[in-house]
Amino acid sequence: MGFHHWQAVECVNTFDNKRDAMDDRYWDRELETIAPGGLERLQLERFNEVIQRARCSKFYKKRLPDRLKSLEQVKDIPLTTKQDLRANFPDGFLTVGLEDIIRLHSSSGTTGRATVIYHTRRDIDNWTELVARSMYMTGVRRGDVFQNMMGYGLFTGGLGLHYGSERLGALTIPASSGNSKRQIRLMKDFGTTVVHVTPSYALHLYSIFEEEGLNPREDLNLRIAFLGAEPYSNEIRKKIEELYGLDAFNSYGLSEMNGPGVAFECTEKEGMHLWEDSYFLEVIDPETGECLEDGREGEMVLTTLMREGMPIIRYRTGDIASVYTEPCACGRTHRRISRIKGRSDDMLIIKGVNIYPMQIEKVLMDMPEVGHNYLIELERVDYLDTIKVKVEVAQEIFHGKASELESLKRKVADHLKSEILITPRVILVEPNSLPKSEGKAIRVVDKRTMGADQS
Amino acid sequence: MRINPDEDQSFYTAGRYKSIMRENGGENMASQVTVFVENRPGRISKIARILGENGLNIRAITISDRGEYGLVNLITNDPDKAYKVLLKEGLSVSRQNVIAIIIEDRPGELADVTEYLNRSSINVANAYGFILQSQEKAVLILEVDDFEKAQQVIGGGGYHTLTKKELHNL
Repeated sequence: MGFHHWQAVECVNTFDNKRDAMDDRYWDRELETIAPGGLERLQLERFNEVIQRARCSKFYKKRLPDRLKSLEQVKDIPLTTKQDLRANFPDGFLTVGLEDIIRLHSSSGTTGRATVIYHTRRDIDNWTELVARSMYMTGVRRGDVFQNMMGYGLFTGGLGLHYGSERLGALTIPASSGNSKRQIRLMKDFGTTVVHVTPSYALHLYSIFEEEGLNPREDLNLRIAFLGAEPYSNEIRKKIEELYGLDAFNSYGLSEMNGPGVAFECTEKEGMHLWEDSYFLEVIDPETGECLEDGREGEMVLTTLMREGMPIIRYRTGDIASVYTEPCACGRTHRRISRIKGRSDDMLIIKGVNIYPMQIEKVLMDMPEVGHNYLIELERVDYLDTIKVKVEVAQEIFHGKASELESLKRKVADHLKSEILITPRVILVEPNSLPKSEGKAIRVVDKRTMGADQS
Repeated sequence: MRINPDEDQSFYTAGRYKSIMRENGGENMASQVTVFVENRPGRISKIARILGENGLNIRAITISDRGEYGLVNLITNDPDKAYKVLLKEGLSVSRQNVIAIIIEDRPGELADVTEYLNRSSINVANAYGFILQSQEKAVLILEVDDFEKAQQVIGGGGYHTLTKKELHNL
């Protein structure tokens, strides 16, 4: 290896390792094991602070009460939706001037459907703290080597985990996604112990290991994997654990709530602790908006209790889950949520990218040569998520030329790529072979096997 | 080799061919019907059944396979009717003039024809053929980029191209 000269520098350990000295189990013992009564008081205090702050934004100016007397009153505050975020793009939710913002993360969307989340320095700091706390909870420690195989960029999964890992003190390798051979070389050269990866990529990478004649269980030092950014089943998790000889952890996050670090599994691997000192959690009936008690399945509604630059209050996540009623054996008092069971809307998560079927429809409708009928099929091919878009070849556009059909396929794929940022496989099918667009046609077929999950 | 138009009057005469060209333009040219099909079982038999039930005879069939779909090219005794009945069944169909040349059914004949076309810079997009057993002759079907030019070149080479009617009467 080529970095011996680094060690020539005089080594001074300035790390304040109070955690190793105190209790190895918790990153922040006081907050993680806070008594339920104390947590409620903290939440009420923070909720009132965030209301005061949010009232500085154009969107929340007239939507919020002066002050909550108890958390019971939260349910009277109107809900905030993704549509609100879009409609108030780019600055309707901002509470400070842009000079106080140090980063933004924006969703995909090239046709005015974008959303943006702004972060102040303190916001990044708080988010980083939550990610460090989450990673520590799964057993990551200073001395670990963390290879982050998620895309760096606007997607929060890359930078979010990166900062958290550095805060924790792990050696952080910003490998980003793709380039399988290089990923493997990095793992070998630097003795990677922890990875952050999509489950489909983890399975794909295993086939590359086999090609290279390597056995990850014996030839690597991996012990922990964070699986995220796409739905996957518990069977897939177990398979990855088996193949690589490690512990794999579920997590939950969404960019509107910073990104990763909203909820994470502890070593019990029974549900994900949602950090209630930073997020206020409610579960509602998606039809009526009525709040549901713990244990009942519904749509999660979250409030950022700590965010300065862009607080979001009672945000409809669209994610369906339930809250565990039993306390966790790990001693943390923050409630656990189940795997995400599905969506209250039709959003798809593919390779970490959120896609709405409407985006695809809009692109196809803008192409006169394409029929009104289409079908989206999600499949897992060689462990990788693929999106297929089936398009009918109408009589009007058919001239008996294969070259014309091939260029149509390319055109459809290119147009879709520029909207959804993923290149779909376009499949041409016979006219009248797809479900009709009248009424409730089935436009999305998800053939991936799953209980859903995301990060 | 050149085909002598007097050899078989029942099939062709150069004079008759020319007059048809003058009077009817491409209307009486041989044509193929192309059907868009998905690559799944039963598609060929579906097409064949539709044609059969409508009393249509298939002279030749080829399939160009494009992976998940294919294009089925058909020469039938009545391309207009074939086009209509397939369209009526909801399939995507197109009709295209092709050049149908009568050639001898003997080794080297196809090489002679295609070399001639090649020398004359006729670009062939697709070619297939079928044998007329009773006549010891074969029909070569050519899809070409420039139909008009190909007509002239082939006529000039002494080859005979079949009209729609001739193809029908085979």
